[in-house]
Amino acid sequence: MKFSFAKICLPIGLVLICFASNVQAKLFGISEFELDNGLQVLVIPNHKAPIIKHMVWYKCGSVDEPKGKGGTAHLLEHLMFRGTKKVKDGVFNDVINQNGGESNAFTSLDYTAYHQFLDISRLELAMYLEADRMQNLKITPQAFEKEQNIVFQERKQVVDNNPLSYFGESVRKVLWQEHPYGLPVSGSPDEIKTISQDDVEAFYKKCYAPNNAILVLAGDIDVNTAQKLANKYYGSVKNRDIGKKADFPLLTREFEANLQMTLPAAQSKRLMQVFLAPSVNVDANKIYALSVLANYLGEGETSALYKDLVLKQKIALDVSVSFDYANRSYGTFVISAVPVEGITQTEFEKALKLSIQQDLKQLSAQKIDLVKQKMLAGLVYLKDNPSEAAYLVGMMASVGFDAKDIDGLDEKIEAVSAKEVLSAAKEILQATSVTGWLLPQEEGK
Amino acid sequence: MPKRRYYQNRSKQGKLKYFVLGALLVAGAYFGYKTYFCFNPDRLVANSVLKEKTFDTKVEEIISPKYKIKAYLFEDDTNPIIAVNFVFKNAGYAGNEEGKNGLAQMAATLLDDGTEKLNRVAYREELEKYAINISFAAGRDDMNGALLTTKAQSRRAFGLLKDVLLTPRFDEEDINQVRQEMLVGLKIQKEQPQNVLSLTANKELFGTHPYSKNPLGEAKDIARISRVDLIEYVKDHLTRSNLIVGVAGDISAAEAGKMLDDVFGALPENGKMAFIRKADVDFAGDDVNIAKDLPQSIAFFVVPGVTRQSEDFYPLYVANDILGGSGLTSRLSLAAREKEALTYGVYTYLSVAEKAPLVGGGFSATPENFAKVKEIVKQEWQKIANNGVSKQEFEAEINYLLASYNLRFASITNMAEILVAMQKENLGVDFLQKRNDYIRNIKLQDVNMAAKKYFAKNPRFITIGNNEK
Repeated sequence: MKFSFAKICLPIGLVLICFASNVQAKLFGISEFELDNGLQVLVIPNHKAPIIKHMVWYKCGSVDEPKGKGGTAHLLEHLMFRGTKKVKDGVFNDVINQNGGESNAFTSLDYTAYHQFLDISRLELAMYLEADRMQNLKITPQAFEKEQNIVFQERKQVVDNNPLSYFGESVRKVLWQEHPYGLPVSGSPDEIKTISQDDVEAFYKKCYAPNNAILVLAGDIDVNTAQKLANKYYGSVKNRDIGKKADFPLLTREFEANLQMTLPAAQSKRLMQVFLAPSVNVDANKIYALSVLANYLGEGETSALYKDLVLKQKIALDVSVSFDYANRSYGTFVISAVPVEGITQTEFEKALKLSIQQDLKQLSAQKIDLVKQKMLAGLVYLKDNPSEAAYLVGMMASVGFDAKDIDGLDEKIEAVSAKEVLSAAKEILQATSVTGWLLPQEEGK
Repeated sequence: MPKRRYYQNRSKQGKLKYFVLGALLVAGAYFGYKTYFCFNPDRLVANSVLKEKTFDTKVEEIISPKYKIKAYLFEDDTNPIIAVNFVFKNAGYAGNEEGKNGLAQMAATLLDDGTEKLNRVAYREELEKYAINISFAAGRDDMNGALLTTKAQSRRAFGLLKDVLLTPRFDEEDINQVRQEMLVGLKIQKEQPQNVLSLTANKELFGTHPYSKNPLGEAKDIARISRVDLIEYVKDHLTRSNLIVGVAGDISAAEAGKMLDDVFGALPENGKMAFIRKADVDFAGDDVNIAKDLPQSIAFFVVPGVTRQSEDFYPLYVANDILGGSGLTSRLSLAAREKEALTYGVYTYLSVAEKAPLVGGGFSATPENFAKVKEIVKQEWQKIANNGVSKQEFEAEINYLLASYNLRFASITNMAEILVAMQKENLGVDFLQKRNDYIRNIKLQDVNMAAKKYFAKNPRFITIGNNEK
């Protein structure tokens, strides 16, 4: 992917883009290779200190669970720390701890990831342990029962004790309907209690294989060493047929839904408007224009909506827009706001709609260039922390981004025109949506 | 009869020899099996291709040429970026006068909302266009500030920070907006039971001491804070006498020295800071429960602790990590989570604040599990106080502290923060070089003494949920 900096910089004439592109010829500087068993490996060298982030991403998440078995992927994630045929229960955490490592894991709708952050001299230890539990997991009924109880407690702590989480979960249910994205990653409290050990083992067999995984190494390592070590530890793990993955229904029914949720714990009114959007897998060509649109409308205090609704009209205390396009199925385009007290839901929605219309009318090539400049200027920091770089790269790769596209994100953004942003806006604002209001008790009456 | 004895002996020796040989073979096979076929972490690390590395972790003390402002500098040119972290000591929210609770917090938010030359929007445009981050936060004791910039835009960034500190804008319009934000913030704060618990715990522990204040201020005060208050606050608190600076990244000592003069040189030399007395923490009061119907109950528990300068600091640090430090390998985690599966997490931590050192802890659990976890905490507390920690636990913890050392160098913003902490706690400019020796010098017997001393009494519990007291 050779390109001339002059070509990019001169027509736009922005000093900073030249700077950003010059120094960060590639955003992360990813090297990619694949082992014979199908394991994809991404290496992000960063030699500032003798440390490394080691991550294994499985391209399986809660969406791949059978119906009614919500929480299986997450429970499996917990059980991955409970021992294998070679490494007894408790040893994994103990060994990583004694070797100064930070270790954890997380489960999402689309993927499940395991990670350790360690001194470079301990990398092989992490590779051994991770390769081992990729193939040798041994679940005992005792460990199963314990983790089932622990994830139940986790769900109560993280979702049920937090009104905003609970509200977000409810908005998603309305938007996604029968689509698996509508179900919570944690599973419902009832589901968690009824998942069986067989369910979890079946999920492990179906999803955990080198040919369904990505290894990310970010830190003080060169590509040759990475290749040798990846082969040494992961090379012998057998690939196998990946079971049936999630069926993502085509969402053809168009609707505009409203949800007003009054929760006793809620203390202040909040708006969350979610639009069904393309993702990298639905329509990769549209995601960059939508990213620029989200930034133009609602990223930071200089964004169009913030300037209008917060600073000028003073009817909101905060407003922001985010666009999530790194998904295996559809993406979402989300407008969040905290309106001032005293304004009704209808009044605020009307003002928001009007503001967006005006912002789009005022959208010019010049304004879009400025938005792009802001987006690109910050990318330079992505190379600082190897741990964060590994997370971003792994997450994008696991939902299907090409390593080259991740490294060239800046070029894609740079290429977006004002016209594309406008047409993306037109489409997204007519898409299926949910307008959700979280209301404190007295306002909901 | 020597001969006979000889034969007799030989026969005995023969048996012994075969026995020894056999035992050796079995042991050898077992050793080989353990070494080559079983998981052997020590061997894996010893034979690793990638070895432990030493690298330059030198921190330099610099003094600016003109105003003689001191700072710590950690140079790292891996990436063309620079982080400057700074602290104005004793400018935190605990120092807010009565009737002005929320002032330090409001100042922190508004400092970053424009300068005399640039109004809020123009200022923000400038920051975003050039990827410059400037932020302030009012902590309990101090006002914390941070700047992050690319090397290419560093001159512009330093200029902006200087203007922010010397000529903050404080437009009435912006003040009113932040006021509204803070008032709603106070409401949203109460949505999380964890916050309600923390606020009550502060009141219970600190009583009339300023540490009992709400970190967001008080509604009636926030409603009244004026532009004059803000200007005065800045004049009295942002001075050279209470300033600590840490600089990390792609910047030389000469450049950093110049930056110190440019950015901080024109600040007043002295100011007027509130004196915060040492807190008389109520560790011995009755346990308190805030009765509330919640999906999960939450506990906070606490005993007296040590300051960073105390000779008990390192031993207690180790004892605390073994009892309830982060991760799933602490005693509390093993007992309440890994073994009994009663909670998603239970932990303890050291707060080494000079005026109120303490060991705190917490957990959440559904009501039917809550009392059981509480009982486990009390049992483990007694156990570590009475019996101390094992040699094995001690060595594992020391290994952890040594091997995790390099992780702190992951980001330059983190490094700049560490440089500030090193100065605040008087750890010395060579702390990073000496730190692992400090760890190696910790003695098991001192850890056990610290455990006995600090965990002897049961902690005081402050809880929220559907629990009996």
